[in-house]
Amino acid sequence: MPAPMPIPTEYRQSHTPLEDAQGFAIALLTAATGIIFLSSLGFITGQTAGLALIIAYVTGWSFGTVFFLINLPFYAFAWKRLGAEFTLKSFFCVTALSLLVDYLPIGLQFETLNPILGTTIFGVLTGYGLLGVFRHKGSLGGLGVIALMIQDRTGFRAGYVQLIVDAVLFTVAFFLFDTRTVAFSLYGALILNGVIAFNHRRDVYIAD
Amino acid sequence: MSKTQTKDSQSQGHSPLADAQGLLFGTSMCGLGIVILTHLGLVTGQTAGLAVLLSYVTGWSFGLVFFLVNLPFYWLGYARMGLRFTIKTFIAVAMLSMLSKFLGTQVVFSELTPWVGAIIFGFVTGAGLLALFRHGASLGGIGILGLYLQEKTGFRAGWTQLSFDACLFAVAFFVLPGSAFIWSLLGAVVVNFVIAINHRKDWYVAT
Repeated sequence: MPAPMPIPTEYRQSHTPLEDAQGFAIALLTAATGIIFLSSLGFITGQTAGLALIIAYVTGWSFGTVFFLINLPFYAFAWKRLGAEFTLKSFFCVTALSLLVDYLPIGLQFETLNPILGTTIFGVLTGYGLLGVFRHKGSLGGLGVIALMIQDRTGFRAGYVQLIVDAVLFTVAFFLFDTRTVAFSLYGALILNGVIAFNHRRDVYIAD
Repeated sequence: MSKTQTKDSQSQGHSPLADAQGLLFGTSMCGLGIVILTHLGLVTGQTAGLAVLLSYVTGWSFGLVFFLVNLPFYWLGYARMGLRFTIKTFIAVAMLSMLSKFLGTQVVFSELTPWVGAIIFGFVTGAGLLALFRHGASLGGIGILGLYLQEKTGFRAGWTQLSFDACLFAVAFFVLPGSAFIWSLLGAVVVNFVIAINHRKDWYVAT
């Protein structure tokens, strides 16, 4: 993670609690909808959510349960490294996302879902949702925190840690699932990361 | 960006590639919104709402009607908002029209609770419109007419849009079943709420 870009105080804008609340509501419901598109197709993605999806498919447990549980160990690290507010916001975001992904399908299911369009929509929706979460100073937990800790201890760049995690996840997925699943999943992850790479700009969106 | 950032560097320009992904993002989001809206048989405001309503009444596809109803507005857009805005808007309208045709057959819901759908519609459409606005485009029509009328007659643009939506929903009240009318209102409120809170030139400083 690059150092936050400094914004001169005279331009700094703050989100009010109400603005944060609407930001998280929009971001989390949209991200959850994206994951439902992805999991309806039986595809995976990178990072903690990807790990949770793989475990969920293999064990038959729900995504929400797995995602909630595997994030638990990270809060201890986050508390020390990134402070109480960030940790609490992350806990809230992870919990809300877990519940939404598990319960939203009661009222949201597909009869037909084209895999290319479905994975594109996943990437756009979940990428946008993550952006919203980041812009309101939350996170969806997990591996990013460990990556930052490793960077602190060893100097090994956090971005590379995340890249290695994704490489391992997709390699494992290659053996567990068919090639088509892995190919579409890679495409979806590409769209998601494209949305974030293009739009996660501290110089363009300056509010805190 | 360095610590010596000055006021001038506050106005960042989008590169053509950044604009392209912005238009793609915006139209994909709005496309998904339209799929949800038409699956539930709801309407919304503005030109898109008119096109949805006409498509229900005539049986024509939304994409075609939307593309056609926007045609008269481009010359106003060109006169009032300039060439770049008009071209970007034309591209966005054309992309949404075509995308809605594909999405309509390729993304079909077997289960979609109306209030859940109305909220998701509002969130994704609000996000899509925000992205289009931030990249100097729009989805055409009534907004431009409003600005034109304000310039010519002094009648406030916001009132033109509100009057248009009031007429649209009045017609919808007689055409749609009662529940669909209520969920349409919910969706329209959510869209406008998303835009009202997040369309902030002081937060998002690129043009």
